[in-house]
Amino acid sequence: MSTIALERVAVRVAVDGRPAPKTLLAELSLRLTEQRIGIIGANGSGKSTLLRLLNGLVVPSSGTVTVDQWDTVRSVREVRRRVGFVFTDPLSQLVMPTGREDVELSLRRSVRNARERSRQAEATLDRFGLLPLADQSIYELSGGERQLLALAAVLAVDPEVLVLDEPSTLLDLRNRELLRRTLAGLSQQVILSTHDLDLALDLDRVLVVDAGTVVFDGGPAAAVAHYRALCAAGIPAAGAAADAALPHLANPHPGQL
Amino acid sequence: MSGHGFLLANYVPGNSLLHRAPLWLKFLLVVGCGMASFLIVDWAVAAAVLAVMCALFLLSGAGVARLYRAVRPVLPVLAAIGLFQWWQLGGPTAARIVLNVLVCIVAASILTATTPVQRLLDGVASLAKPFQRFGADPERFALTIAIMLRSIPFIAGAYSDVRDSARARGLERNPRALILPVFITTVAFARQTGDALAARGLGEHETEEHAPPSTPAAGHAHSRA
Repeated sequence: MSTIALERVAVRVAVDGRPAPKTLLAELSLRLTEQRIGIIGANGSGKSTLLRLLNGLVVPSSGTVTVDQWDTVRSVREVRRRVGFVFTDPLSQLVMPTGREDVELSLRRSVRNARERSRQAEATLDRFGLLPLADQSIYELSGGERQLLALAAVLAVDPEVLVLDEPSTLLDLRNRELLRRTLAGLSQQVILSTHDLDLALDLDRVLVVDAGTVVFDGGPAAAVAHYRALCAAGIPAAGAAADAALPHLANPHPGQL
Repeated sequence: MSGHGFLLANYVPGNSLLHRAPLWLKFLLVVGCGMASFLIVDWAVAAAVLAVMCALFLLSGAGVARLYRAVRPVLPVLAAIGLFQWWQLGGPTAARIVLNVLVCIVAASILTATTPVQRLLDGVASLAKPFQRFGADPERFALTIAIMLRSIPFIAGAYSDVRDSARARGLERNPRALILPVFITTVAFARQTGDALAARGLGEHETEEHAPPSTPAAGHAHSRA
């Protein structure tokens, strides 16, 4: 299992019109060694930023991120060989018109021989049950098939770590289940962010992120309970919300008949 | 997004003469048509060449519907160009320009409809090999073509989506409501594609290499709560 270490990492970005940079991720140190790790939290809490640090898509403003001692900034190529990344929307990830071509594109860097590349692409597609769809346009595939294809294209080069950014967000219940089973069967270390709390409960360790800070890190059941409590605390009661939004409605109207 | 599904003459599996023709010959056909578009000055000759190109396309077994789908996205643009040129330079010149552009599109479609993309990319990478001595990476040339093949239909589809949205809001006559969203969508798509390629390690320079530190990083504080 790979060891991913974040040491005093923070991510800040400059925002037009603001004197101080905005903090996307407050300083944190982590050591990720478990096989299945989840990150849960509200939209905009910093989950994607945290995931993108792991294969160098986001560069830390301070601190270091290493994957098996390879620095994600100085040795980005080595890191990306080890860490595959699957995006929320497979269409933003699939570059080629068909599944076969996209998997072959992944293999171009490592397999120079065209025939061998084709053979390996077929084997990968077959492993995910996608061989019958190999020559179909990616636009003709269902959401679940596309997500599986994106996964296959990344796993074709056999990374040691698989990072997935909200992989089930665009999927229906059936496809979520299919993805869940597929992820459970992988030998790779899997690190994912998700809003699917059932999926989070399958994992070994879950981090809860809120406003750019890891507020909980532990077992999945406790993490999900913590997240639920956090969400409940952040939502005003229905009556109070209406009173706050429309205060004049709370006052009795004098009326006139 | 609707409209992103069509691709300019996607590869059609087959065993026609054109499928079996060597890649260099098909490349030559595309380059030749591109050059001919500058040399042909008579619209009747351009029409004859277009007829030959269409016949070749149909010979591949790709079908009339696919041929129409290949040229359909550019028809509004060609109509606008044709009308402008007709107004400026007269009917024969306008017809020649429009027909020459169609010749190039159909020739390129013959290449993409009868050649699997991976073979096309291998061909581009082979063609770019002589530039390796000047520090160029042939695989990057191939990747550029792959991205181009992916991006053209996306941008055409984005335009189609934005036009539908503008229509729904009654803004179809407002150029800003059409151009600005397409521009923003295209930039966002370019960034997404860049991220996706980077995440898959595609297009990175092969010479980059750094050794890992000799000792494992120690003393990590955990943020477990």
